[in-house]
Amino acid sequence: MLIPRRVKHRKQHHPSRSGASKGGNELAFGEYGIQALTPAYVTNRQIESARIAINRHIRRGGKVWINIYPDRPLTKKPAETRMGSGKGSPEWWVANVKPGRVLFELSFPNEKVAREALLRATHKLPLKCRIIKREAGEV
Amino acid sequence: MSEVRISAEPRDTFGKGAARQLRRDGKIPAVLYGHKEEPVHLALPEHELFLALKTPNVLLNLDLGDRRQLALPKAVQKDPVRRSIEHVDLLLVRRGEKVTVEIPIVTVGDVVSGGLLEHTLNVLSIEAEATHIPGSVEVSVQGLEIGGQILAKEVTLPRGAELVTDPEHLVVHVLAAPTAEQMAGTGAEAEPEAGAGESETASPEAGEES
Repeated sequence: MLIPRRVKHRKQHHPSRSGASKGGNELAFGEYGIQALTPAYVTNRQIESARIAINRHIRRGGKVWINIYPDRPLTKKPAETRMGSGKGSPEWWVANVKPGRVLFELSFPNEKVAREALLRATHKLPLKCRIIKREAGEV
Repeated sequence: MSEVRISAEPRDTFGKGAARQLRRDGKIPAVLYGHKEEPVHLALPEHELFLALKTPNVLLNLDLGDRRQLALPKAVQKDPVRRSIEHVDLLLVRRGEKVTVEIPIVTVGDVVSGGLLEHTLNVLSIEAEATHIPGSVEVSVQGLEIGGQILAKEVTLPRGAELVTDPEHLVVHVLAAPTAEQMAGTGAEAEPEAGAGESETASPEAGEES
């Protein structure tokens, strides 16, 4: 699973959920991709699960790119703990995804199989998304 | 490439409020500049512009009322989710003038069995006459073996176009398609699993910068 090797601050504020994605909104590598339509925190487990879903469906002959990285820690206080005594311990690593962001890209010769693989991946993600395709002649 | 006639109105209101009002009225704010002339702020009809911009590097013939101007779209701002056009930068051009534009690369032909085509370049920078900009450039990958590649200098450009991109730049290459084992191996399996309860082990404590 994707985890940063070292971080400057172990516990951070929650990332901002507002606004739309400013970059990474177009397909850069593959022919097909998953584009976010709503904001979400995507955990490293969800990214890994989606990646496995794509790979298991296409089996071989394709290439997958993951365009997001879970670099923000979220903390949680233990259950039945009184308030105070500082911030909880880091519990999850998340990627802060905003609408418009392309999360995964896929290069595969068969469009039907590629779309089905990406559809299976979307079911593992905590956000609404759509599958996009590079059109011939698109700049 | 044919020109697309489009009516343009000059605008004298600026800022996000005025721009949003324009968009509500079915118009797109735009700016026209180039040739060291003063920039002209315009409002263009949304639907006509949307249809025109479906063609890459479309040559727009702007009807400004008292005069006509030829322009090329230089930058198009789009809403990432709705894909609607929010603003357009137009570059003033003249007939016969040579301009540098990016044209899309279209691959034709089937990749050899067991190979995976990878595009490292999706657009090619060329210099061409403003009134004769090719819509796209075709690259044939038919018969390209695994490990085969096509460089920018090997792409056949339409007549009158000159390559601006680095001639040695890789355009497409054919990789050996990954096997099932290789596909399963990609990712970060080597790293320790960080479950919800095990986050302390995978926490960045050790890696925190001091």
